[in-house]
Amino acid sequence: MAQFALVIDLNTCVGCHACATNCKEWNTQASFGPLSDFDPYGREPQGVWYNRIMTYEVGEFPNTQVFHLPKSCLHCQDAPCVPVCPTGASYKREQDGIVLVNYDDCIGCKLCSWSCPYGCREFDEADKVMKKCTLCIDRIYDETLPPEHRKPACVLTCPARARFFGDIEDPSSEAYKVIKERNGFVLFPDMGTNPANHYLPRTETKVHIDEHLLKPENPLFLEVVQRHYKGG
Amino acid sequence: MHPPLSLIWFFLTAGTSIGLFSFIYLTDFLSLFGLNTSLPPNMILFSCVISLVLIALGAIGASFHLGHKLRAWKAIKRFHTSWLSREAVFSGAYGFTLLLYGVSYYFNLHPAVQHFFGISTLLLGWLSAFSTAMIYASNRFVLEWNTSLTVLYYLNMYLMLGSSAFLATAYHYKPELIKPYLLLALLFVFLGLALRIAFNVRQFFLKRPTINEALNLPHNRPVKVLDTGTTTNNYCTEEFYYRRGKEMLSFVLPLAYIFTFVIPLMLLLYSLISANYKYAFYALAYASLFVGSALERWSFFVEGNHVQNLFYGLYPEEGYRLRKGYMEKKKTKISLRS
Repeated sequence: MAQFALVIDLNTCVGCHACATNCKEWNTQASFGPLSDFDPYGREPQGVWYNRIMTYEVGEFPNTQVFHLPKSCLHCQDAPCVPVCPTGASYKREQDGIVLVNYDDCIGCKLCSWSCPYGCREFDEADKVMKKCTLCIDRIYDETLPPEHRKPACVLTCPARARFFGDIEDPSSEAYKVIKERNGFVLFPDMGTNPANHYLPRTETKVHIDEHLLKPENPLFLEVVQRHYKGG
Repeated sequence: MHPPLSLIWFFLTAGTSIGLFSFIYLTDFLSLFGLNTSLPPNMILFSCVISLVLIALGAIGASFHLGHKLRAWKAIKRFHTSWLSREAVFSGAYGFTLLLYGVSYYFNLHPAVQHFFGISTLLLGWLSAFSTAMIYASNRFVLEWNTSLTVLYYLNMYLMLGSSAFLATAYHYKPELIKPYLLLALLFVFLGLALRIAFNVRQFFLKRPTINEALNLPHNRPVKVLDTGTTTNNYCTEEFYYRRGKEMLSFVLPLAYIFTFVIPLMLLLYSLISANYKYAFYALAYASLFVGSALERWSFFVEGNHVQNLFYGLYPEEGYRLRKGYMEKKKTKISLRS
């Protein structure tokens, strides 16, 4: 069975929010829109986003690394949100593994969001239905688009090319290859959801403090010298 | 978790309705075995009307939790997988058979018909209660709820509400039943207290996941949330983390214990020991249980911590602290390369 998914390279993602912004733009105006916003120019803007970017710091000072984690629906292979839905509005497509919500059947009970360990479903207070990432299903099957454009909006817009899209069960797909070659991993593996979206781990980046830092022109000259002589 | 008031309301109304009906019907049912427990028809009809009104009010109240109330009928579609679907079907069927039971009593139909509807109503009522409890207990992403204690406690609360409501009703129609049922009511309140304490104690021993597990990172790396991507709250932070509630929990939970257990226990025990069977004791015990159960359900929601909160740094840190052994601090040194 095919399983379409996103693969996100955490080594390349710079946390620019372009994927989230383009996701919001496409999904607000296309087949699944709108994604409501409340108080957008006020003090407490709120709204529905399919894709949110978190930023984390790992390690202890001074050996820390910051990475950005774009998180949208992971299209789990054993999606726990599907069986709990009382109306069958939440379903997983057999042909491509994409998890979708039928807005006409959703009664807005929110139980599917309670059953998602990743917090990837959002309730639209204006439409009173649950919404989530559709993997831009209205783009990827649109034959009026050129083949290279039949990808989710977030993949097309990523300026760092940190996103891959494809069938993770198909060895010839780009997504499958990068997962295998670069040890792709999933979030919360212990939850038994078997997420389809994968992440590519960060690789160690070594920074060496070279002698040119000790040049007096360096604005941090004093600090570097002090640390050096304190044996910091 | 953010407590939905409509679900708390449904718990109170459905709990009283199913609990009261169970005691009424089972008591009347015992008379088939030659016991002197047959109830006056007026008492049965009165209780049926009360139970019917309550379950109807509960269903109307619970529908406020839904985004689209008119589509609620569609909730029958996933009966084979969804506990919410089962709850909707069973509670609807319970209300319907309860109405038929009342009608069969009103028109004094054949006892076989009455008992057929009575047994059906009893079964459907408890299946509905079990399904509601399972909605919470089967959620494996809220560890506080994901236990059989949730179901046992939930069902026992229905018995607590039902038995105290039965006492208040029996006082007017059949006072000789008060003494044995007083013991039953006390038993359920004691059992409820024990289950609630077990539910709270269990939370201290939960093996909670850490943010490292959520992000699939090695355990020996401390992880800190720097930014959640939004300047204000969003659906996930509001639905799964109720900040105001967390602040109020230390005040509300003791109140819930007092109103749900301490006051009803004192009233019922005093009535039993002093053999002073006054209506006011039972009415007050029920009122206290009603208020206490509302506070207890509110606390139950607020105590629940959804694992998605880990991504926002809003999950309790006990698990992180318990595993501090993994967090060995490594000495780091910055050196110049020659």
